[in-house]
Amino acid sequence: MVDSQDMVKKVFTQKSARIDTNKGENYYNNLFEKAKQRLSTLKKQAPLKDIDMVDVIETEGINRRDFMKWVSGTTATLMLPPMFEPLVAEATELMNRVPVVWIELQDCAGNSEALLRSASPTVDDLLFDVLSLEFHETLQAAAGHDADRQLEDAVEHFKGQYLLFVEGAIPMANNGMYGTIGASGETFHEHLMRMSKDAAAVIAVGTCATFGGIPAAAPNPTGAVGVMDLVKGKPLINIPACPANPANMVGVILHYILTGQVPELDSLLRPKFAFGYRIHDNCERRAHFDAGEFVEEFGDDGAKNNWCLYKVGCKGPMTFNNCSIIRYNEGTNWPVGVGRGCIGCSEPDFWDKYAYQRPMAGANIKAPTGGVEKTVDEFGLGLLTATAVGIGVHAVASAVAGKKSEHNEEE
Amino acid sequence: MTPIMRTIHWMNAICMVVAVATGLYIGYPYYQTLIADPAVNKYVMAWNRWAHFIVAIIFDVTAILIGYLYLFSNFEKPYKKILPTKKNFIEFCEVFFNLITFNRRKKFDSSHSDSYNIMFFTLFHVLLVFMLLTGLQLYVHGLASGHSSIGDWWPWVLHLSTDWTLSVFGGNMGVRIAHHTTMYLLIMWVMSHIYYQIWRTIFWQEGDIAIVFSGYKFARDRKKDK
Repeated sequence: MVDSQDMVKKVFTQKSARIDTNKGENYYNNLFEKAKQRLSTLKKQAPLKDIDMVDVIETEGINRRDFMKWVSGTTATLMLPPMFEPLVAEATELMNRVPVVWIELQDCAGNSEALLRSASPTVDDLLFDVLSLEFHETLQAAAGHDADRQLEDAVEHFKGQYLLFVEGAIPMANNGMYGTIGASGETFHEHLMRMSKDAAAVIAVGTCATFGGIPAAAPNPTGAVGVMDLVKGKPLINIPACPANPANMVGVILHYILTGQVPELDSLLRPKFAFGYRIHDNCERRAHFDAGEFVEEFGDDGAKNNWCLYKVGCKGPMTFNNCSIIRYNEGTNWPVGVGRGCIGCSEPDFWDKYAYQRPMAGANIKAPTGGVEKTVDEFGLGLLTATAVGIGVHAVASAVAGKKSEHNEEE
Repeated sequence: MTPIMRTIHWMNAICMVVAVATGLYIGYPYYQTLIADPAVNKYVMAWNRWAHFIVAIIFDVTAILIGYLYLFSNFEKPYKKILPTKKNFIEFCEVFFNLITFNRRKKFDSSHSDSYNIMFFTLFHVLLVFMLLTGLQLYVHGLASGHSSIGDWWPWVLHLSTDWTLSVFGGNMGVRIAHHTTMYLLIMWVMSHIYYQIWRTIFWQEGDIAIVFSGYKFARDRKKDK
């Protein structure tokens, strides 16, 4: 009985947003052993780049203590117990063993920008010195045919081993002709399929790559879709947000180096360690939400007093992300912290359904019929008015007809 | 109407008023506290959400109760009136004709609930159950950890019964819009309902409005009148 209950429970909760932050001693002990073994195998491999993380840290003026602080923070972010800290530190030092290929499709390069501004380890350490970034159009020196060759070399050399980072949506309309690459004229779609074929795992970075993002916003002229709509039969991780938080990118790489597998994902393939909770639950303005203290207008007294931004369109209550915890730009700040609401940029269809400066009830939402923009409330009010008019007409008609019928009866 | 039915009716009516008022506030907080207390002492939104959820739970329970009475009531089993039989179809049409001919034609037994009424009664509860399912999905959205104060089974049950709404309406925002839009359908229903009951009271002259207060109305015996 208990077994079948567990089975049913498993079947139906597999894809829910449930997060288990304590999976029991056995689980972590096994994972610990597994990670240790994996790291020792990685250690035996020749580094892809002959650079020592410890050296880099020292030359960058980060002392060991700061580094260990970062390590414990990262371990906690990955929802691992403190006993993993030495392993996370070791994994960081072994980052130059895992090749990364980064391709960019239909987007604004915002995620590359975000990664460049990654917190500790600073980007220069991580990217140029430690992480074996084999290909990145925006960051690499090579251009033209040289760049093509570099990509071919990387794919050939690290077949089945590299992590493929995809930034940007894939235009599918007009046979994908909205986005082609270089002299070959290969479409973004063909490019993605070719690159993902030999990847160990595909990591879609940013909302464009995960759910289509802004390119896929209505009316979506280029027919943009996300990676998850196209790539099948591969471990796929979505790290949405606009831009994706570099801490989460680094977290996913570290998790992969540590365990050789993808972290636990939710139903939208987002790592639960980052997208397991609503930002509303950890928002610094939450008390004002419960108290009914809202900013009515940007710049008013409420805004000056850091009241809740719900009424000026904050979508925090509907958005899953860890930005209220880890924030952006080395933890300096995040949208709500600077006094503008969350626009739900890590949710599917965010541009059409979340990114307006009003709460749901005051929003212009595209009617499902397309074309006409109508708000739900205008529609509702119209419906109620129509009902009231209908009732009125019927009532008057009844009154007139009723008199007649009584008149008839009397006759 | 039996005392239980009347109790449920008025409970639903009050609950609906509360649910709409608090629901509108939750969707768009239309009044704001200006009391100079610290945020922690006020909890305006928290009170609105509390009231909204409490009436939702009462709705849940009455929906189950009504679902039971619908099928197993000793008094009258409403579902029998919407079965697709010829008799029910004719009755439905007759009541409808009565309405659109402004009571010039009344060829059905009005001493008990007719097919037309039961059809609308059913529609209301379908809408209500829809509100409950979409509402519970929005609620479990806040229980992302999978835990609740009454145990892990509760979010589990909610996910089990309401996660389908996510795929049907394209994510949480779609569910929210559906929940919000259905409120208008329900208000529309209530408007029509109140109008129809008053209309019947006036034009049928059988004291229909009394059903929901005393439980009974009188049906005029036409033969005796003549």
